[in-house]
Amino acid sequence: MSTPDLTVRIGAMTMKNPVMIASGIFGYGDEFRGLADYGDLGALVLKTITPEPRPGNPPAHRTVETPGGMLNAIGLENVGLEAFVRDKLPAALEYGTNIIASIAGDTPEQFADCARALDGSEVAAIEMNISCPNVKKGGMAFGVDAEASAEVTAAARAATRKPIIPKLTPNVTDIAAVAVACEKAGADAVSLINTFSAMAIDVETRRPLLAAGTGGLSGPAIRPAAVCRVYQVAQAVNVPVIGMGGIWNASDALEFIIAGASAVAVGTALYADPSVAHRVLAGIRGYLERHAIESIEHLVGSLQL
Amino acid sequence: MTHPEDASPPGPPPSSGSGALRLQARILESESLPAAHHRLLLRAPQIVPRAQPGQFLHIWCHPPDEIERPPCAAILRRPYSIARLVPPEEVEILFRVRGTGGRLLAAKAVGDSLDVIGPLGRGFSISPDLRVAIVVAGGVGLAPAPFLVGRLVETRARVILLAGAETDDKIPFRVDRPRPGRATLPDLEALGAEVTFASESVEGILITAVAEARFGELPEENAAMFAIGPRAMLRRLAEVTGTHIPLQVSLEERMACGLGACRSCVVPTTGQSGYQTVCRDGPVFDASEIDWERLTS
Ligand SMILES: Cc1cc2nc3c(=O)[nH]c(=O)nc-3n(C[C@H](O)[C@H](O)[C@H](O)COP(=O)(O)OP(=O)(O)OC[C@H]3O[C@@H](n4cnc5c(N)ncnc54)[C@H](O)[C@@H]3O)c2cc1C
Ligand SMILES: Cc1cc2nc3c(=O)[nH]c(=O)nc-3n(C[C@H](O)[C@H](O)[C@H](O)COP(=O)(O)O)c2cc1C
Ligand code: FES
Repeated sequence: MSTPDLTVRIGAMTMKNPVMIASGIFGYGDEFRGLADYGDLGALVLKTITPEPRPGNPPAHRTVETPGGMLNAIGLENVGLEAFVRDKLPAALEYGTNIIASIAGDTPEQFADCARALDGSEVAAIEMNISCPNVKKGGMAFGVDAEASAEVTAAARAATRKPIIPKLTPNVTDIAAVAVACEKAGADAVSLINTFSAMAIDVETRRPLLAAGTGGLSGPAIRPAAVCRVYQVAQAVNVPVIGMGGIWNASDALEFIIAGASAVAVGTALYADPSVAHRVLAGIRGYLERHAIESIEHLVGSLQL
Repeated sequence: MTHPEDASPPGPPPSSGSGALRLQARILESESLPAAHHRLLLRAPQIVPRAQPGQFLHIWCHPPDEIERPPCAAILRRPYSIARLVPPEEVEILFRVRGTGGRLLAAKAVGDSLDVIGPLGRGFSISPDLRVAIVVAGGVGLAPAPFLVGRLVETRARVILLAGAETDDKIPFRVDRPRPGRATLPDLEALGAEVTFASESVEGILITAVAEARFGELPEENAAMFAIGPRAMLRRLAEVTGTHIPLQVSLEERMACGLGACRSCVVPTTGQSGYQTVCRDGPVFDASEIDWERLTS
């Protein structure tokens, strides 16, 4: 049989394969250069940026390892929109694959400002981080409320023709309702999940291990919970779903795809294995060949109940 | 007096990527040392010509061929300083076995391989005109000392090593006590350094006192101090050295990527940026770059 078709379409963005790198993991793209050819991947999502630079949370510590995962409370440290477009984006575009910017702000207007500023840039799409658990304002404050999520999505929609992809938080009772609200407000796709609110305590000192007190849990520990959220959302919306949360190998990624994800992103696993996304991609290709599936599309949401 | 900026840097972080390699390094020697220390000698010929003292390796502690299986513990790599180079092919690390990562590494056998990324970070900047170098190393901060001392000796500088640990056996080197109160570390003396070892020091205060006492011996210029150890010790050193002598310090912080991407490992710095990464901007910083007030212990 011929080689399987791995192409994925998200709004106006075409990806040569469904494997992406999740926001915040990969910095602005340059830091990992040389460790693998990241241009081989379907898309690279860069660190979330805000209209103005942010220093992030105080250190000592911003991350802590936990069983099968890690907590982070980086606090959206970023160079700001202007420096991003001027200094960071050109180098990321050199990878020659889709570059997705991730934006955040304290208000719907700030999301719109970022989206507008990126409209004329060469980013392939814009992910909207309405799910960061590590900032007081904005971030997850929008994502936990369906109406607020819709409002932010609509504001960005009005500001750009680029595909917009709200990124959802699992820290809600009904994630599908938030996804539907975003879809109605004009989202081209949704991505999920961001991290779970989480905490770890040093019992000797009785202090939190993260300087910020609480953070977000990522890594293999959250994978089954993430697959479940992706399944729930994929049942509820018609736009493509980008699935992530604890993906470590091709089999993990295939779970997300079978549950309804059109594309997948790797996060925490990249810290262990800078080639994890390539490993996942090769494994997906092998799986499609082995099962004589002509196109990845046929596998999406193919869960047998 | 020279400042570290004047010295030829050992290689600033490259503008693109980390310049680091990922490779499988075979373990040539694995040795348990006193007080839960351990030494591994690795075959890593690609690292040897690139490495600078103060740089580190980011090590996957599980078997390389098991990287496809997510482990429950130690899902992140562990940073360890390059302790020594044995050209043309060998690199050594020295570590205290504390948690899961250290235990996994200490249990490796000769012939096993490690998945290593390195060399990473900005190492010590060593001026070729150096006349006197004082190295202050506390506790497991002694790990990178052999590499640093070796390079300093090559510049023909007089190298004074002030080493300290809570007890003699808390350091991975042979300690001799020719007379009471005076100890030496023959392993490091063999490299050509004048060594003073103090084992009573609490948080490096004693070392600091020793360091102060030596200021009188310093030439007006071309002297430099290099410090590795607990933050309290580094902070005291930064206070007492003031403008007497340029001081470079090596810092530790929790890491995830080790490449400057995730912003996990930042320390507060002076100047506009506010925070810099230990993994990429450091681990070695000029003491004047650090905002000591905001640096938590
Ligand atoms: C640049 C750098 C160089 C280092 N060089 C050496 C060396 O040469 N020899 C040596 O013995 N140790 C060194 N350390 C400390 C060493 O990285 C930790 O002891 C090690 O990560 C502990 O891992 P573990 O699983 O054994 O312990 P655990 O306590 O189980 O580790 C839990 C988590 O905390 C992190 N962690 C714990 N202690 C530290 C620390 N001090 N610094 C950073 N992360 C930490 C671990 O990486 C892991 O993610 C260095 C640290 C840094 C940042
Ligand atoms: C250190 C770190 C920083 C992150 N920063 C961001 C960010 O800036 N924006 C964002 O949308 N998600 C961020 N995330 C969340 C990831 O993109 C991803 O959604 C999450 O980690 C789950 O995937 P994983 O389990 O594969 O890591 C971050 C995660 C980590 C571990
Ligand atoms: S460990 Fe990721 S920036 Fe230093």
